[in-house]
Amino acid sequence: MQSCDLTVKIGNLVLKNPVIVSSGTFGFGEEFKDFFDLNQLGAIIPKGISLEPMAGNPPPRIFETEGGLINSIGLQNPGFQEFIKNKLPYYRHLKTPLIINFFGNTQKEYIELARRFDDVRGISGLEMNISCPNIKKGGIVFGTDPRMAYRLAHAVRKATKLTLIVKLSPNVTDIALMAKSVEEGGANAISLVNTFRAMAINIHSKKPELGNIMGGLSGPAIKPIALRMVWEVHQAVKVPIIGMGGIMNAEDVIEFILAGASAIQMGTANLINPRAGIEAIQGIKKYLTQNKIDRIQKLIGAFG
Amino acid sequence: MLKVSEDSSPLLRRPFSVYKNYPENHPEKKKRGCLFIYYKEVGKGTQKMTTLKKGQTLNLIGPLGKGFTLPPLPSSANIILIGGGVGIVSLYPIAEALKNRKMFVFIGGKTRDDILCLEDFKNFNSKISVATEDGSLGFRGTVVDLFLFQRKNFTKNRKYYIYSCGPIAMLKALAGSVKFKNFVCQASLETRMGCGFGACWGCVVKTNHPRTPYQRVCKEGPVFSFKDILWE
Repeated sequence: MQSCDLTVKIGNLVLKNPVIVSSGTFGFGEEFKDFFDLNQLGAIIPKGISLEPMAGNPPPRIFETEGGLINSIGLQNPGFQEFIKNKLPYYRHLKTPLIINFFGNTQKEYIELARRFDDVRGISGLEMNISCPNIKKGGIVFGTDPRMAYRLAHAVRKATKLTLIVKLSPNVTDIALMAKSVEEGGANAISLVNTFRAMAINIHSKKPELGNIMGGLSGPAIKPIALRMVWEVHQAVKVPIIGMGGIMNAEDVIEFILAGASAIQMGTANLINPRAGIEAIQGIKKYLTQNKIDRIQKLIGAFG
Repeated sequence: MLKVSEDSSPLLRRPFSVYKNYPENHPEKKKRGCLFIYYKEVGKGTQKMTTLKKGQTLNLIGPLGKGFTLPPLPSSANIILIGGGVGIVSLYPIAEALKNRKMFVFIGGKTRDDILCLEDFKNFNSKISVATEDGSLGFRGTVVDLFLFQRKNFTKNRKYYIYSCGPIAMLKALAGSVKFKNFVCQASLETRMGCGFGACWGCVVKTNHPRTPYQRVCKEGPVFSFKDILWE
């Protein structure tokens, strides 16, 4: 079988394939090492990091719905210092690019974190989270106001030389406007979508199913909406798009790439099938071979 | 973690403890190895399991997490097993591992139909006590009420290893009644799980860990020492 070219470009980053594992669904990577060789992935994005440690939200933190999962983890993470000391060393053995997802409570904190990560060796890019639905202060205020998003992207852009990806929330009226704002601010790429704000109530106890009442919905249930948003953003911006939202297999990946994504992220799928990422990569190769396409880049936005 | 269907309904895997595990050529079971899961039908996942046909293949990831720590050997310490509802199933492997030791087994449930594994435990050197909330079998009350009722039998100058599994309310009540130095208590907890292998942080329980109060039931657990859990 003739090998096809799966490489894609995200800013200065060249990925050997378009499959990235999504922040918050891949732990710190080590959790998956018994299931497959992590070097096969396009890139890895570990759990989001803040300046200080965060305890996360009270349980219950997850609830399954039809074709979806509502979570309110609350960005539990060990904070910058602990991450550098105890989690980052694991990635030194890996060749796959490491993209750091980070977030802050204020613009100052975002800038401070971007600066600090800029000085750390072994990091290929930054994904700035302005979209977590589970924390009142962190992120989402920047993710729903286009002017604030522009200013934040602009300020963080100046604080780091690393490829800067901005992760958008779908909980806005005009996703294309948000995308244009962060592109103008200097983002090298845009990743979308984070989870949709959602909730569930237990009719027997008359209590919320989540400790935090509201959470974010992910999984196959959100895929068609996420796909539409990727296409809208594709028409609005020139920078590469990393698409995500309910991607479970190679067919879903191809669909997002056709809609305009240069690369994709898999999230909820990792929880159900820890090998979902590499199985998707194998499926993409098969699709390209069967359809006699030599380069995956030819598929980006190529629908209609 | 068991995927009970090939499609996305239900979407996530479901966590189960192993009831019996017979390796290949075990005297009890033919040539092939056998893994037994004893479950209660409670929701969409377990309902789907009940419709499974003989010979159907399921995808399973395991074993995962941290199990019970057995008492040091040799030891004169007494073994106490306390199980509520389907929780007693998780304690069966301990009984099997310690089958030559004297054990006190407490089994509780809402009604007599919820008293499981009674015959299994009769095979061991065990004193079995049963409690039902409606009084249809054994002591009338919860399994913790029953344990408290019999506690005078457990003297302060002996060491006891308590292994427990059941609903959170039961474990919480138990935690309040075993705050003595001579009781070494472990519980296997059950929470909603996303992945089962530590990736999502969805299944956490609050502990008194100084830096990371919310610990993962799937990874740091499901078995925790009573003293590490913040029973709120």
